[in-house]
Amino acid sequence: TSQVQRGLQKVTEAQVEQKTAEVVQYFLVKEQRKVPVRRADLVKHVLKEHRNIYPEILKRAARTLDQVFGLKLVEIDPKNHLYVLINNLETSEGAPPINSSTDPKRGLLFVILSVIFMKGGVVRENVIWNLLKKLRVDPGEKHEDFGDVKKVVTDEFVRQRYLEFVRIPHTEPVEHELRWGQRAEKEVSKSKILDVMGQLHDRDPQSWSQQYREAHSSQNSTQQPGSSSQR
Amino acid sequence: GKEKATQLFSDGAAFDPTAFTEHLLSIMGINRLEDAEDEQQNGGAVDGYLPQDAWHRVARRAECCFKAAPSFHYMFGSFHAEPPPPKQRIE
Amino acid sequence: MSRQMGDSHRRFLQTMMASGIIDESGAKALHQHCCETHSTQYAPDRLDDFIDTINSKLQPMFMQIRKGMSEDNGHQHYALVNMVENDVTRMSSDYADNELELFKKTMDLIVGSEDGKASSTDILNSTDSMTTKKLKKSEIENLLNRLVQDKWLSEKRGKYTLSTRCIIEMEPYIRAMYQDQVKVCHICHAIAFQCQICENPTCGIKIHNPCVARYFKGRTEPRCPACEDFWPHEIPEVRRPRSQSRR
Ligand SMILES: [Zn+2]
Ligand SMILES: [Zn+2]
Repeated sequence: TSQVQRGLQKVTEAQVEQKTAEVVQYFLVKEQRKVPVRRADLVKHVLKEHRNIYPEILKRAARTLDQVFGLKLVEIDPKNHLYVLINNLETSEGAPPINSSTDPKRGLLFVILSVIFMKGGVVRENVIWNLLKKLRVDPGEKHEDFGDVKKVVTDEFVRQRYLEFVRIPHTEPVEHELRWGQRAEKEVSKSKILDVMGQLHDRDPQSWSQQYREAHSSQNSTQQPGSSSQR
Repeated sequence: GKEKATQLFSDGAAFDPTAFTEHLLSIMGINRLEDAEDEQQNGGAVDGYLPQDAWHRVARRAECCFKAAPSFHYMFGSFHAEPPPPKQRIE
Repeated sequence: MSRQMGDSHRRFLQTMMASGIIDESGAKALHQHCCETHSTQYAPDRLDDFIDTINSKLQPMFMQIRKGMSEDNGHQHYALVNMVENDVTRMSSDYADNELELFKKTMDLIVGSEDGKASSTDILNSTDSMTTKKLKKSEIENLLNRLVQDKWLSEKRGKYTLSTRCIIEMEPYIRAMYQDQVKVCHICHAIAFQCQICENPTCGIKIHNPCVARYFKGRTEPRCPACEDFWPHEIPEVRRPRSQSRR
């Protein structure tokens, strides 16, 4: 930090503010495709000559994202330093008067994440492909909403870190299994999924005891109401 | 499948994917063909027609589970500002 | 006057991010919705103050919620716009470089045209002079559909016009880049594409169709507000905003 302090003495406040604004823009732009921001890329493409005051600028950018946009900057992968934005605001109870367009891929993702969660955290890929077939989504065919479904699931959702798609060792032919990705762990609420499951099956969510425990024990269940207004 | 799912309660394995898909299809607004006999003959493959916005309906139902950040889209600033080439039309 | 933002402002801003543009009655309803959701005081007549508070905090990021009129129906709209071009803003991933070049060519065509429109044939032909990777015909058709869906262009009977969202965000750019081609409306002074033009060759002022409707409403003999010549065009009806009481 003393290095940061020294670095800060060499730049004007206006320069720090401008870099902060660029970092905020960068996070917003990267969120268009929900691809996590790699710290190395942020330094290389945005901070450039100001890399030495990186911690201060990131701190300010996080504050702006929080206070102006209601978004939380979250490091989902501390080893590789990957960041994503998560919404601080809950989905409002009453329907908003503006019907903004929904992304059908969000529906697909919900189905896959739900199955993985309800099946205890990991499923073989065939479980997903078979289930999708029953929903008229054939991984071998071009789908009207999703195009190449296999690519969306195993490439796009994986790059966005919603899913992990890992080869199961010693399988012939090659088989993969699916788990929740690091973004999903932060962005998707297991207890809300369980609530929806309960509503769909007309059943008390608590009756899935294992899932219920998981949903309410993991750090994923951010059930502090009004946490976003504590500023 | 529904009864089977309720029998197996309070066990981690009690999740029934078949029941889940049935519920999803009804969220999607499936329009079953009247002739249910045919379905049985097709090896249980459920037939029916899904509306165009089927997956949008699922997405809307799922919205509350996601704390996704909205994203910012713009046109100005996405390309180099450049005046147009001089007009070639004869005025 | 550095009023603080609350969650109601943040929710409003987030909805603007998701929608890009909303009309005035939508903005009013959203204002109310955001205030009620977060149990903050709702003052129906203070929408613009509410938005000013957001804008004051957006300013360092060169973003803004900007007001503008629809050339089509004359209603006020609010759009969330970007106001800066730099290395970061050019990383936007919504459109590829060649798609952006085609959009720019479409804009050249529309701004350079008499009627503020470009036909799909003209747009297809304009790809001959592209410097980036050329687009196939089917790709262009898909792109134009996407531009309409994303609310950057409007389409009517095979003719493309700049959308309200596009005009609101791009107005300073259009004024700067197309200085000698662009004309402003004699009534509201915003740039004008869909408009009526005075036929007096020494005058030739432009007036938006909705501005024509409002200006000439109830006048028996319409005359040009600049040269006083007879205004020979058909006077459109004033279009009332739809009522706010929908849910
Ligand atoms: Zn006007
Ligand atoms: Zn005149």
